[in-house]
Amino acid sequence: MVISAFINRFELAVAAGGSEALLGRAVALAPPEQGDRRLGEVSAAAEAQGVRKGLKLGEALGRCPELVLIPADPVGAAAEWERVLVALEAIGAAVEAPQLGQAMFQADGLLRMHGGLDRLIRATSKAIARPVRLGVAPGPFSAAVAAATARPRRPVRVAAGEQGARRFLAPQPVGLLVRDRRTEKLPQLLERFGIDRLGELAAMRRGDIADRFGKAGIAAHDLAQGRELKVVPRVIPLAIAESINLPESAGVGGPQLLHALDLLVGRLLARPERDGLTFRSVELSAELDSGGTWRRSVCFREALADRERIRIALSHMFDGLPAPARSLRLAAVQFGPPTADQKSLLDEPAEARIERLRQAILQTRAAAGRDSALRAVAVEPNSRLPERRMALVPFEV
Amino acid sequence: MRATKTTRGARRLAEPERVKVAASPDGRPGSIEGRRVEAIRDSWIVEDRWWTKAPIRRRYYEAVTAGGTVEVVYREPGGRWLRHR
Repeated sequence: MVISAFINRFELAVAAGGSEALLGRAVALAPPEQGDRRLGEVSAAAEAQGVRKGLKLGEALGRCPELVLIPADPVGAAAEWERVLVALEAIGAAVEAPQLGQAMFQADGLLRMHGGLDRLIRATSKAIARPVRLGVAPGPFSAAVAAATARPRRPVRVAAGEQGARRFLAPQPVGLLVRDRRTEKLPQLLERFGIDRLGELAAMRRGDIADRFGKAGIAAHDLAQGRELKVVPRVIPLAIAESINLPESAGVGGPQLLHALDLLVGRLLARPERDGLTFRSVELSAELDSGGTWRRSVCFREALADRERIRIALSHMFDGLPAPARSLRLAAVQFGPPTADQKSLLDEPAEARIERLRQAILQTRAAAGRDSALRAVAVEPNSRLPERRMALVPFEV
Repeated sequence: MRATKTTRGARRLAEPERVKVAASPDGRPGSIEGRRVEAIRDSWIVEDRWWTKAPIRRRYYEAVTAGGTVEVVYREPGGRWLRHR
């Protein structure tokens, strides 16, 4: 069985400072500055006045003049969501998180550990520590639909097996297919053909669906029939760090600090999680004796795994240390390929030069942002308007 | 040094920018960004996109300012002055 947790209007609640701030107020996440200005998540009070997520700003204000716009807080939402996922992982769940506010995990392996499904549901709810809707079903899609239709503190349970999922999904609208990436574009098409419920879709012949809707149609048919994929737990990005406490005399600068750095580099390279990967960029930070912290990021010209070269590249960073350090920390932030980029004495084939150029571009982007390697291309070279002649586009090799 | 994850994708080069121009009575630029215009080297009209709902009509001036720099500025029908870098 799969347990799915759904926190309604998660991004909006984080941006507003808590779900209580949304009660009875017509509130929406402000649209981004660029693009066609469409609203983000909206509160229930705004929905009651006809305002929906994705509505254009002008139209939304026309329908609800008292609508309050809150600036989006994607960093805060991601951090808060990460806290929720870590809390779920702490109860033993291998979590899949398809989007902010929605998580699911396979429950079977945890039942004995928590003493049954009821206790596991309670542990899940407690770990999330905010109003959450829970659904329990045979597969991820039916569990997500169950969670979306549940009320807080009242989990919806679906009978086990394909049969149970099929029976539960039959009366549900086809619009719920947006919850699966493979079928997210299908609902409008299906509705245009007069197929409104998942049960109607399940009753159709597979061949007819394949003819009309292709792969997405087959995936939708499988879902409606209760044949679902498995939960794919998230892969936590690798981040390794080493730190060292410094004696009073060592934190000022000079050879002791360099020696500490050398130790850190050695320890970081020896970490088994590295698994032979090279370091693309690292972060050097220190706790200062005077209070506060100091931090510098370094992006290497090429991905390195050589202790001496890393030490040399980092040693001059201490010039900017504002006060004696109490402790020093070195973290690998981005990794490069495991193979060494050994230069050849002989003529290199074109592929090797192209690969080196590609690596240089990746390094530039890692250090200075994705806009930092661009190519000027002629768009309308003969245009009489100078701004139409050339454009900058991302440099791809 | 921290990498940013935003990207602007393709964007045009030589986008015109707003510039402060004091026009003389005959409509020619008298000063650009406070610098007196010494001479107008050339002037021409560009009309384009007239078949669309946003036609373009520009009166260009290639001007030499008191500092010796050459500026290419133009005026839009609404009276707004812009400059090409």
